[in-house]
Amino acid sequence: MSNSSSQVEIVRQSLRRRYRKERRFRMYGIAAIAVALLSLFILFADIIGKGYTGFLKTTVTLEVELDGDTMYLEDPTNPDEIAMADFTAPIIAALQTHFPEAEGSAANRELARLVGSYAASDIRDLLEANPDLLGTIQTMEFLAHDTVSVYVKHADNPRYTVRLSERQQQWVDELMEKGVIETGFNDILFSKGDSREPANAGILSAIVGSLLTMFVTLVISFPVGVAAAVYLEEFAPQNRLTDFIEVNINNLAAVPSIIFGLLGLAVFIGLFGMPRSVPVVGGLVLALMTVPTIIISSRAAIKSVPPSIREAAEGIGASRMQVVLHHVVPLAMPGMLTGSIIGMAQALGETAPLLLIGMVAFIVDVPDGLFDAATVLPVQIYLWASSAEQGFIELASAGIMVLLTFMISMNALAIWLRKRLERRW
Amino acid sequence: MPNRKDDMYGDHISHQFNDDLSSLKNDFLKMGGLVEQQTIDAVNALIDGDGQAADEIRARDKVVDKMEMDLDEEAIRLIARRQPAARDLRFVISVIKMVADLERVGDEAKKIAKFGLTLAEEGQAPRGYVEVRHIANHVTSMLHDALDAFSRLDAEQALRVMKEDKRVDEEYQAAARTLLTFMMEDSRSISRCMAVMWVLRALERVGDHACNIAENVIYMVEGEDVRHTPVEEAEKLVGR
Amino acid sequence: MNSINSTIPGDATMPEKAPLAVEDPVTEERRETVEIEEGKTVGIPFSDNPKFALRNVEVSYGDTRAIRNISLDIARNEVIAFIGPSGCGKSTFLRCLNRMNDSIDTCRVKGSLMLDGDDIYDPRRDVVELRARVGMVFQKPNPFPKSIYENVAYGPRIHGLANRKSDLDEIVESSLRKAGLWDEVKDRLDATATGMSGGQQQRLCIARAIAVSPEVILMDEPCSALDPIATAKVEELIAEMSESYTIVIVTHSMQQAARVSHRTAYFHLGHLVEVNETNKVFTAPEHELTESYITGRFG
Repeated sequence: MSNSSSQVEIVRQSLRRRYRKERRFRMYGIAAIAVALLSLFILFADIIGKGYTGFLKTTVTLEVELDGDTMYLEDPTNPDEIAMADFTAPIIAALQTHFPEAEGSAANRELARLVGSYAASDIRDLLEANPDLLGTIQTMEFLAHDTVSVYVKHADNPRYTVRLSERQQQWVDELMEKGVIETGFNDILFSKGDSREPANAGILSAIVGSLLTMFVTLVISFPVGVAAAVYLEEFAPQNRLTDFIEVNINNLAAVPSIIFGLLGLAVFIGLFGMPRSVPVVGGLVLALMTVPTIIISSRAAIKSVPPSIREAAEGIGASRMQVVLHHVVPLAMPGMLTGSIIGMAQALGETAPLLLIGMVAFIVDVPDGLFDAATVLPVQIYLWASSAEQGFIELASAGIMVLLTFMISMNALAIWLRKRLERRW
Repeated sequence: MPNRKDDMYGDHISHQFNDDLSSLKNDFLKMGGLVEQQTIDAVNALIDGDGQAADEIRARDKVVDKMEMDLDEEAIRLIARRQPAARDLRFVISVIKMVADLERVGDEAKKIAKFGLTLAEEGQAPRGYVEVRHIANHVTSMLHDALDAFSRLDAEQALRVMKEDKRVDEEYQAAARTLLTFMMEDSRSISRCMAVMWVLRALERVGDHACNIAENVIYMVEGEDVRHTPVEEAEKLVGR
Repeated sequence: MNSINSTIPGDATMPEKAPLAVEDPVTEERRETVEIEEGKTVGIPFSDNPKFALRNVEVSYGDTRAIRNISLDIARNEVIAFIGPSGCGKSTFLRCLNRMNDSIDTCRVKGSLMLDGDDIYDPRRDVVELRARVGMVFQKPNPFPKSIYENVAYGPRIHGLANRKSDLDEIVESSLRKAGLWDEVKDRLDATATGMSGGQQQRLCIARAIAVSPEVILMDEPCSALDPIATAKVEELIAEMSESYTIVIVTHSMQQAARVSHRTAYFHLGHLVEVNETNKVFTAPEHELTESYITGRFG
């Protein structure tokens, strides 16, 4: 009796130790997850904190009197006159209605620099399109000058330097009070291509470029990857050659992506003479990079199809081909799709190989085909991040957010597909 | 045929199964021993005219009946829980059948004791006791041999027991004729001779039961059913 | 044991007379070794009216001999059960009968295997046609993750047995009826098969096998994943089917073999030790190894 009670005591002691150990171990795990979450949080907070202003634009709304005299313009249909006219004058005049005390050429210059350099051409475009408007008064919304935008958004951020004179700052403050200068959603970001001026720069051409590139990648890598995986898993004889191929596919998946860029440069551009910086070449290069990933994940998906299903089909006399096409591939499809989408997401974020094949160009226009010069999201971000202008910093962050949104939605799609299509057996 | 006698009960993966089979065997042999003793005692009581011994024998038959029920239950439980097959199945089924035979032998012993009591009350050395003793010796040794064959799984010996049965029958016929002669010589002895006749009849039945047990032993060991088979043919089946 | 064996050249035409000492690892210390003569089977392995005539069959995986010189007839419309301890080769042997071993690269089959007088392993023979004649039901119920209807209809469809939808419907219904499943599923033919109970799934697999009207049905431990009630239903089905099909069943449950089969074949370490009437095997087997296995002395 005493023996057993002492044993119980020993067990109790050891239990306490065991519980402590378990608690400690759990704490390590929680700590690890906390570190991961924290870094993720910091990353997102930093990007969003820096980048949310990228989704805002600063506008100046003015009542512009399109007076022919001030513009030295009598006939807006005459191209010569249009070319010679001074479209800045009505803007200065409009601003002067707010600040009658600002006179003289220096003040005029400073007033003119409150609006962006595209303001004058906005008026010209308007008059060119509608010559009748000459002599009328129009309410027009102009993009603020880059420096004004920085001042409005980041006046008290020490990392930005305000490049406005005292007088200009006063004017801006006053105009903001009057509601002339406003911030709003930056639709330009999603409707235009790149520009030298941050306020006028958009990401649309990069998005379209990315989509075109991804389309090429998907169309090439998915069928090739799945076909290769099916052949290797189901039909290939087990011999040295297939072993060799397998090893090489695994190695290929680990090759640094820049090597694929070099390969693309040498083969597609050098050998086949394809044009530089077009989505088709980018897509081909990324497809080369993605195929091993798709093969590996597809083979895993095929392997995970239970042999009992294969046996069942063979048992009622299905041929090898029928077994594969009717049963194995449909059952492996969710896994294949997941692998492909993750491979595509990886390709979407790839920069290095695309730099080499010239997709780093300054692209203003939205590409309208597979053979039109284009850039892609990560490259655009890279370009903006290395630009000198202050306004590009927030644009780069905004671009990163757009890219992350794409990636997260692709991963979400992968998860959804898997949940949706996966069958239990 | 390789020697399989060593593992008739043992060698199962389940030790519990081994134990169940062994205990069934031991209980059966215990019952067999008791019944054998009952028969010998009954004949002795008859010949010695010992009424008290005869009474004890009749009382002890209750024990035999109880043993029969216990053994049956044990065997049924074993079938239900173990689903014995092949030789195990034959063993359990044979035991169930042989237990019935043993119980009947017990009843015959009781019957002998009963006649012993009647005869003892009348006193006077009866006729026919020589024959009774002779046949009694014969059948009890048959019973003993049958039980021995069972415990040693010896089909040859069981076959010998079967052969003995024929001779018991002949002896019984001879004894019956002798007693008939007595009865014709002295009509006053008819009722006594009839009682002795019944005893002889009971002993002959004991021989039959011993023979049944022997047949079951052969089935159990060899898997051949030798009931209603001439001994010569049974011999061939066993010898194979 | 292996060393003795490997010195004997495998001759498919002549049974070898080399006695083999077989030691069971579990009871090695307690029992004296029992001799198995290669190629010799006690009991009644042959039949006057064979569906399958199998002679001197040898199966090996690489260097391992899984089946050693087995000769056996499987009679028309009989239910024959293969029993034996794990790894005795009974499943391997079963799978030779419709060449399910083909997909294993290292598997080699020697000897003569005849189905109705045609060589099963004739290289010109289309295995698809063979499997349409010799159907198979597996250990684990393995319905396709499709609807109940599709599961049964798949076989007839790939073999082109039904040209019209109505024909196919008929085949599906009659197969499900034969498998005793029709009344349970007729209102939910479009429901997914994986949602059925294990016993129903197994009977569906039997219906799927029946749907291509085979002559033989091979069953590889069909009830090992089922509860006793479902097992009883499958066994009942086997009894009914034995009127129109030849059934070969591998089972680990000796009681099952005793219940469903007409003949029982006992395999041991790749040898076919004994084939006999089931009644005989379970009351008085001829071979000592059979008896030891039946009575639970090893295995």
